Amino acid sequence: MTVTDPLGTTAPAPPAAPTGSLTPVFVTLKLSLLRNGLRQSAGRRAAYITSIVFTLLFAALQLLGLVLLRGHDHAAALVTVGSAVLALGWAVVPLFFPGGDETLDPTRLVMLPLRPRPLIVALLLSSLIGIGPLFTLTLAAGSAVALAHGAAAVVAGVVAVALNLLVCVALARAVATANIRLLTSRKGRDLALLSGLFVAVGLQFVNVGWQQLSGKNGLSVLEPAADVLRWVPPAAAVDAVQGVSEGAYATAAAQFALTAGALALLLWWWQRSLTHLMTAPDASTLQADAPGRESGRRDAGGPLGRLLPAGRTGVVLHQTLRYAVRNPKTKASWATSLAIGLLLPVITSLQGAGSVYTALWAPGLLGMQMYNQFGQDSSAFWMVSQTISSRRDAYLELRGRAMAIGLVALPYTTLAMIVAAAFMHRWDAAPETLGMGLGLLGALVATGALTSAQFPYSIPQDSGYKNVAPGQTGIAWISIFGGMIAGAVLSAPVLGMTIWLHLSGGHELLWLVLPVGAVYGVLIAEAGLRLAAPRTLARLPEILTAVSKG
Amino acid sequence: MDPVPEDTTRPRQEGVAAVRVSGLWKRYGEQIAVHGIDLELPAGQFIGLVGPNGAGKTTTLSMITGLLRPDSGTVEVAGHDVWRDPAEVKARIGVLPEGLRLFERLSGRELLAYTGRLRGLPGAEVDKRAAQLLDVLDLAGAQNKLVIDYSTGMRKKIGLAAALLHNPEVLFLDEPFEGVDPVSAQTIRGVLERYTHSGATVVFSSHVMELVESLCDWVAVMATGRIRAHGPLAEVRGDAPSLQNAFLELVGAQRHGAGHDLDWLGGGAR
Repeated sequence: MTVTDPLGTTAPAPPAAPTGSLTPVFVTLKLSLLRNGLRQSAGRRAAYITSIVFTLLFAALQLLGLVLLRGHDHAAALVTVGSAVLALGWAVVPLFFPGGDETLDPTRLVMLPLRPRPLIVALLLSSLIGIGPLFTLTLAAGSAVALAHGAAAVVAGVVAVALNLLVCVALARAVATANIRLLTSRKGRDLALLSGLFVAVGLQFVNVGWQQLSGKNGLSVLEPAADVLRWVPPAAAVDAVQGVSEGAYATAAAQFALTAGALALLLWWWQRSLTHLMTAPDASTLQADAPGRESGRRDAGGPLGRLLPAGRTGVVLHQTLRYAVRNPKTKASWATSLAIGLLLPVITSLQGAGSVYTALWAPGLLGMQMYNQFGQDSSAFWMVSQTISSRRDAYLELRGRAMAIGLVALPYTTLAMIVAAAFMHRWDAAPETLGMGLGLLGALVATGALTSAQFPYSIPQDSGYKNVAPGQTGIAWISIFGGMIAGAVLSAPVLGMTIWLHLSGGHELLWLVLPVGAVYGVLIAEAGLRLAAPRTLARLPEILTAVSKG
Repeated sequence: MDPVPEDTTRPRQEGVAAVRVSGLWKRYGEQIAVHGIDLELPAGQFIGLVGPNGAGKTTTLSMITGLLRPDSGTVEVAGHDVWRDPAEVKARIGVLPEGLRLFERLSGRELLAYTGRLRGLPGAEVDKRAAQLLDVLDLAGAQNKLVIDYSTGMRKKIGLAAALLHNPEVLFLDEPFEGVDPVSAQTIRGVLERYTHSGATVVFSSHVMELVESLCDWVAVMATGRIRAHGPLAEVRGDAPSLQNAFLELVGAQRHGAGHDLDWLGGGAR
């Protein structure tokens, strides 16, 4: 097998090393991994094909949009910023999706007699296979089309596309390699589990940004950013095409040189970390002799432990709060509820279409935390199940968990209500909103306790996106949507009272919704816990089986 | 407040069954995991449940300890029915299951504090016992590390500590020595031996025959969901030179001859 070596870096092969270039081997490896991954399950194949179709569709639309932008005043600014954002994506994505590409983990190759330089070339070229590079290629090509005017600019465009793609891929590889120890450690996996949260919150910002851009003269917003980014590779190479079109050859040459230099630097950094990674011992083997580093948590009860009520309720409450902070899946779920609950009123009010009732998202999302309580324990639920031997044990267990949610949700709902009222200048509606929020929270805690006992399901602990184990999707939907509808129905009395007061003109009595909602919320939650306790006790082995699949 | 389990030295009845199992069945679809087991385990003994992988040991232990509901059959522990009288049984048994997680985002010490308090023991007593268990099991240095960062041996030891915390009458351990280094294994062994000498019962499953032979007074051999033999060690071993041989004979495993196909293996690199 003879394959050209674009950088001319192939070292003379040592006697024991495989003859010939590595590149075809790695390209074949990548293709085989891709193919075998698809062969594993029909679902995965469907997901992959869907994502390819969507990416191609999106890329085609983008290409079309960029072609249409040709000649637009701010076209250069848009493609420059776009390239920079895409490159940022390439740098960040491997940190959150380390499992996506097995060839990204060079520690798997450590036992093979490979030299770093040919290895890097082979890895770089095999990295060009995939949806991500295809998408980048389309975007880069579209950018070049949008900017290139004249034969020289077309040549510059081709160079820019190639440089852009190589820098993006090399960046992703270099960042991933430099952080592979982190990514394969427990802390790195925890970080990856939080990726869902970043996507959820990031989408909100994308949403706001999009609104800004799609306004009148929206694209001019990008100009100041583009002025800086046109000197940051790989956006520099894309901007250089505009320079060549306008005849600014010196500037364009400098931008190309800058990008090529950045590529060389990235490759050097990548090779250095790769060599270090494959020759230096793993830190995990060195840590064994350093006991007691985490000496901060001396008191098993902790400072919080002394403030909490005694007995099972306090113990369970403490444990629930500790897991909300320490377990990445639970943390992501809590953080998403907290972030979205507060962001939604703010964003809708910024968009000018807000209602003060958007503050109800906060109790709604936090109340949902009560759902599938035992699934959150995963198979460790056996430790709980071994200590529940009476209806009262089950009640106290559920009450402790509900109180942990209440401890966060009560002040947070109040905060969301204050923020929403302040943003929309509707202080008059604050008491009724809070009253409805408390009623809703109580209803969700009640239905959450019941569905936790009746429809438990496993939450896979090692995936940032799967929140349901395979085969339990149906039960999860029943649990969440059935529970939500039941929760809405159960909070209807408070809602009905508010509507009635509005319609009947009893506006001066609307403040009454607050105490009524608070009392109703507590009563309905208590009733839900009392109903759920005997069911939990009777179904302990079934719950354990259901939550042990992840 | 929940009743505190009796933790002072209690009368242990020698010769009385610690566990009585009758007609225990468990099916998973077509497959029968446990095939109608009847068994009486004597109290105050070190009991080994041995069998190859897939014999149904874990399923049986899960049903005995109330973690899994049997299709039919009854289980009594210390004279109390596991399913009709869970309060009495749960206070008297300690469990270390295999293949189920612990609360791994707690430190070793927090895990013990949490477990003991859930069991209704007074906080000060829990902390005193936890400190001693951590010390004896050689985990004191790692007590503030999260369990998720523990090695396999350390996990088994912290699981054992959590199972012993409320001083149970009968201790069930599923593969307690699986993947455990020799030093930790010796530590676990020492603790278990001390515990049975006080009159308590230990039931553990394993497929390491040497271990079972050196530890147990009484064994039950399981294969394909059935009990093939049970009784005092010497009785089950019979005339066979070792428990390993007796076991292979019982489960009907034939020895494979040395393969001729691997004639290239060994004798210089090439």
